Amino acid sequence: MAAQEFNFLLATDSYKITHYKQYPPNISNIYSYFECRRKKGSQFSEVVFFGLQYLLKKYLLGQVVTEEKIQEAKVFYQMHFKQAVFDEESWRKILEKHDGRLPIRIKAIPEGTIIPRGNVLFTVENTDPEFYWLTNYIETMLLQMWYPITVATISREFKKILAKHLKATSGSLEGLDLKLHDFGYRGVSSQESAALGGAAHLVNFCSTDTVAGLLMAQRYYSCPMAGFSIPAAEHSTIISWGRSREKEAFERVLEQFPSGPVSVVSDSYDIFNACKNIWGDKLKERVMERSQDSCLVIRPDSGDPAETLIEVIKILEECFGCSLNVMGYKVLPSYLRIIQGDGIDLSSVDEILQKLADEGWSAENVVFGCGSALLQKLNRDTLNCAFKCSYVESNGKGMDVYKQPVTDPSKGSKRGRLSLRRNSDGFLETIEKGAGKPEEDLLVTVFENGSLVLDYSLEEIRKNARLRDEE
Amino acid sequence: LYVPTIVVKKEDNRHLLFALSLQVTHYKQYPPNTSKVYSYFECREKRTDPSKSRKVKYDKTVFYGLQYILNKYLKGKVVTPEKIQEAKEVYREHFQDDVFNEKGWTYILEKYNGHLPIEIKAVPEGSVIPRGNVLFTVESTDPECYWLTNWVETILVQIWYPITVATNSREQKKILAKYLMETAGNLEGLAYKLHDFGYRGVSSQETAGIGASAHLVNFKGTDTVAGIGVIKKYYGTKDPVPGFSVPAAEHSTITAWGKDHEKDAFEHIIKQFPNVPVSIVSDSYDIYNACEKIWGEDLRSLIVARSADAPLVIRPDSGNPLDTVLKVLEILGKKFPPLENSKGYKVLPPYIRVIQGDGVDINTLQEIVEGMKKHRWSIENIAFGSGGALLQKLTRDLLNCSFKCSYVVTNGLGVNVFKDPVADPNKRSKKGRLSLHRTASGNFVTLEEGKGDLGGDQLHTVFQNGKIVKTYTFDEVRDNAQLTESDY
Repeated sequence: MAAQEFNFLLATDSYKITHYKQYPPNISNIYSYFECRRKKGSQFSEVVFFGLQYLLKKYLLGQVVTEEKIQEAKVFYQMHFKQAVFDEESWRKILEKHDGRLPIRIKAIPEGTIIPRGNVLFTVENTDPEFYWLTNYIETMLLQMWYPITVATISREFKKILAKHLKATSGSLEGLDLKLHDFGYRGVSSQESAALGGAAHLVNFCSTDTVAGLLMAQRYYSCPMAGFSIPAAEHSTIISWGRSREKEAFERVLEQFPSGPVSVVSDSYDIFNACKNIWGDKLKERVMERSQDSCLVIRPDSGDPAETLIEVIKILEECFGCSLNVMGYKVLPSYLRIIQGDGIDLSSVDEILQKLADEGWSAENVVFGCGSALLQKLNRDTLNCAFKCSYVESNGKGMDVYKQPVTDPSKGSKRGRLSLRRNSDGFLETIEKGAGKPEEDLLVTVFENGSLVLDYSLEEIRKNARLRDEE
Repeated sequence: LYVPTIVVKKEDNRHLLFALSLQVTHYKQYPPNTSKVYSYFECREKRTDPSKSRKVKYDKTVFYGLQYILNKYLKGKVVTPEKIQEAKEVYREHFQDDVFNEKGWTYILEKYNGHLPIEIKAVPEGSVIPRGNVLFTVESTDPECYWLTNWVETILVQIWYPITVATNSREQKKILAKYLMETAGNLEGLAYKLHDFGYRGVSSQETAGIGASAHLVNFKGTDTVAGIGVIKKYYGTKDPVPGFSVPAAEHSTITAWGKDHEKDAFEHIIKQFPNVPVSIVSDSYDIYNACEKIWGEDLRSLIVARSADAPLVIRPDSGNPLDTVLKVLEILGKKFPPLENSKGYKVLPPYIRVIQGDGVDINTLQEIVEGMKKHRWSIENIAFGSGGALLQKLTRDLLNCSFKCSYVVTNGLGVNVFKDPVADPNKRSKKGRLSLHRTASGNFVTLEEGKGDLGGDQLHTVFQNGKIVKTYTFDEVRDNAQLTESDY
C-alpha cells in the first residue's frame, strides 16, 4: 500500500500542474519511455536496471488519491502559483472513476537486467483516455530511477575491477561479494537515499554498513538479510582512550570481539607507527592468536590511498611474514587483512590493486570500503537518464513524436511505441515506431491500474545482475 | 537453509537502525568507566588543496537543517520494546553474532521512556559561519549512555546535505547580486533569478524535500514542491508559502503537437496563460529558428501585447549554455529591440525574457553572467534554472563536513581527545569542550579545551533529553542567511 501521509499530487515539478492545458486538443493517449541515453566517450556502456519496484510499492500502488489530498493540493497550488491553475476536477474523476488508483500501465525490463545504453528500459502510458496528462505527471518521480540504476551500475563496475584483479592474483573469485563494503550512510543526502542506494549496492555485494539498505531490501524485495558486517572501531573509540593509550584501545577491541573478524582504524595519530610498533610488536601475539575466521582487519584512513596501503603492507610483511599463493603472489597470514576505506572510487581501486600486484601482492589481502563515490558522487548525467514522450494519440490517430534539438543531437529522443528484443546475435536492441513484434518484446507489464503485476525478489535480481565470465 | 522470519512492522523511519553497522558495536570499545562522550560537527578548513584548484572557495557556510533531523528522527519517544526487538533480530543476522546493546537501549526505554538522553547545542539556523568553526556539539547526559553520542553521528552528519545546498545556493546568489547590481543598478528580482529544477535529478523524495528547502533559504523560485512541505512542517513561515512558480511548457507539451506544429503549440500555450509569466521551452527542434521565425515573426503580435507582469520567458535547453544564451539574446534583440538602462546595458522589452535551465552550475553561472556583461546585456534579461548542480552534484567533501569526538570523561576525569593523522594535517580534529565566540571585530572564533566557559557562547541548546528546546522559523533562517553588501 502506498505511503499514507504522502500526497502524490504534490510529488511533481510545479510546472506539470499546468500541462493539461498545453497538450493538443482531443489528445487521448500519451506514451513515454525511460532510457539511459548513449553518450560518446562515457565510461559506462551498460547499466543495471534496479529500483522500480520500490517506487511502485511505496508511491504508486493502490489508492493514491483521496479527497483530502485533492483539497491540500488545491490550496497549495493556489498560493504557489498565485492563481487557480490546478486541475481539481480531473483528479476527482480519478477518485470517482478509479477509486483513486492510477489508470497507468508501466512495462519494464526485469530488474537486475544488464542492458546497453540507449535502450528503452520502461514505458508508461495512460489506460483511460481522460487521463492522458497523467503519464508525464509522474515523470518527476519515475526519473528518480536514475539513482538506484546508477548506484547498481557503478557498484557492478567496481565488482568487475575487483574480479579482474582477484582472478589474476589468486586464481579464484572467492570472497568477491565481500570485497566492497558500503560506508556511505553518513555521506548521502537523506535516509531514504541511503536505503535505496544501500539496497542497489547489495545487488552486487553482500557487505554493508548502511543498515537502511538492508531494511529496504527486506520490505520491498523480499530479502530477509541482504548484507553483512563486522564489528569495527571508529576514531572516537580509539582517541577516547587518550593519545598515549592507543595500544590499550586496540587491545580492548580485540578482547571484546574474540571470535569473528574485527576491523580497527589505525591512523588516529600515526598509521605506520601503529602497524609497526603496536600491531607488529606490542600486540603481535594477540594478533597471531586470531584465526582466519576472526582475523584482524587493519584500517588506514588518511594519506594517499595507494602509497599508504603499500607502505602498510610492507610493514606488516616485515612483522608478520607472508606466504605465496598458487599464482605466486604474496598473501599476509590468514589472521591479518587490510581494509582501505578512504578515497576509494573506480579509478583508485584499479590503481591500488594494480600497484599491489606490481609489488607482488595478491588482491586477497585487501578489502575496500567506499562511501560517497558509491552512494552520493553520482547524478542523472552520469548515465544520461531521460524520460521522454515518444507517441501520442489524438482524434483517434496515433503519431510518433520526438525532440531533436539542432543544438545537441545526443539529446534526440526515440520515436513511437517501443519494444525491446534480443537480436539474432544475442544483443538487446530497441525497436521504434511500433515496429516490434509483441511476442519478441522483453518489456513486461509490472504495474497496471494501481496494481503490481510482478514482484521481483533480490535473489532473482542478483542472479540477473551477476558477472558474466568475460567480465 | 534457515531463513529468519524477521517481522518488520509498518514503515517507520524513526527506528534504531539508523546507525551505521559499526556503531552498533562501539559501546564495547570505549575505555571502561567512560561516563561521557562529547562530540562536535564542523565544516573543516582545507588548508592545502592538492588536486584541484577550485574556482569557488566556500569560505563560509550556511548552517541549516538540524531542526528537520531533530524533529523527524530524534525527538520524543524513539525507543519502544518492539523496536528493540526488531533491532536485536536484524543485527543478529547482520553480524551473525549477538553484539547489539540490548541492555543499553532497554535502560533508555525504562529510565527515560524512550527519550534520548543527549544534549545538542548549535549555532542559530541560517547563520553564516567561516569554515573551521564548531557548528554544533553533542554530548550524552547520562553516564550509562556514553555510547549514545556517536550512535547518532550517522544521522547527524547527514546535515552536510542541507548545509551544502544552502551554502552553494547562497554563493550563486552572491554572483547574481554582483552582476545584477553592476548591470542594472539594483537587486530587483534577485530572489527569483535561480529557480530550482532539481526534483527529478535527486536521489529520493526525501532528499528533494530537504534540498529544495535549503535552496529556499536564499531564493523564492522553485518547482521542487517537496521543499515547501518540509519548510511548512519543520520550520514555518509567516507567509502562506515560501516558494513560487509559473506556468511553463515541457518538451512533451510541444512535441505532442507534431514536428510541423511547433508554432501551433507555442500559440496555444501562450494563449492559455495571458496574465502571468509563462515559460516556453523552445529547443525541441531548432532554438534559433524558434526565436527568429516563430517568436520573432509568426507570433510576434501575441508577445508584444503582453504586460510586464506577464512576460513570455523563452527557454533554451541544449547546446553550450553561454553561446546559446548569447545567440538567443542577439536574435531576440533584433526582433524585439532592447532599450538601454541607467547603467548603459541593454534590456529587452518587458514582455519578453529568457530562462537558461540547462547545464547551470556555479561555474557556468559565473561564465554566463560575465559573458552577458561583456556583450552589454543586463542581467535583468535572464533568469536561471538549476537541477542536478543545485541539489545533487554535491558531496560531503565539498565543505569537508565532519563529526568528531573531542572530549570524554573516564573514571571521573575529563580528557581532551583528538585525532591527528600523520599523513593528513587537514584531518586533525579539535580538542576538548568547544564554544563559539564573536571577536571584537565581529569575526567568529572557536575556543577549545573548555576555554570558552566564561560566557559568550554562540551555541545554544536546541535539544535536551528528547525535547526540542529551541526552534527557528524559516523567516529567521532567511534573515540570518541574508547577503550583506560586502557579499556583492
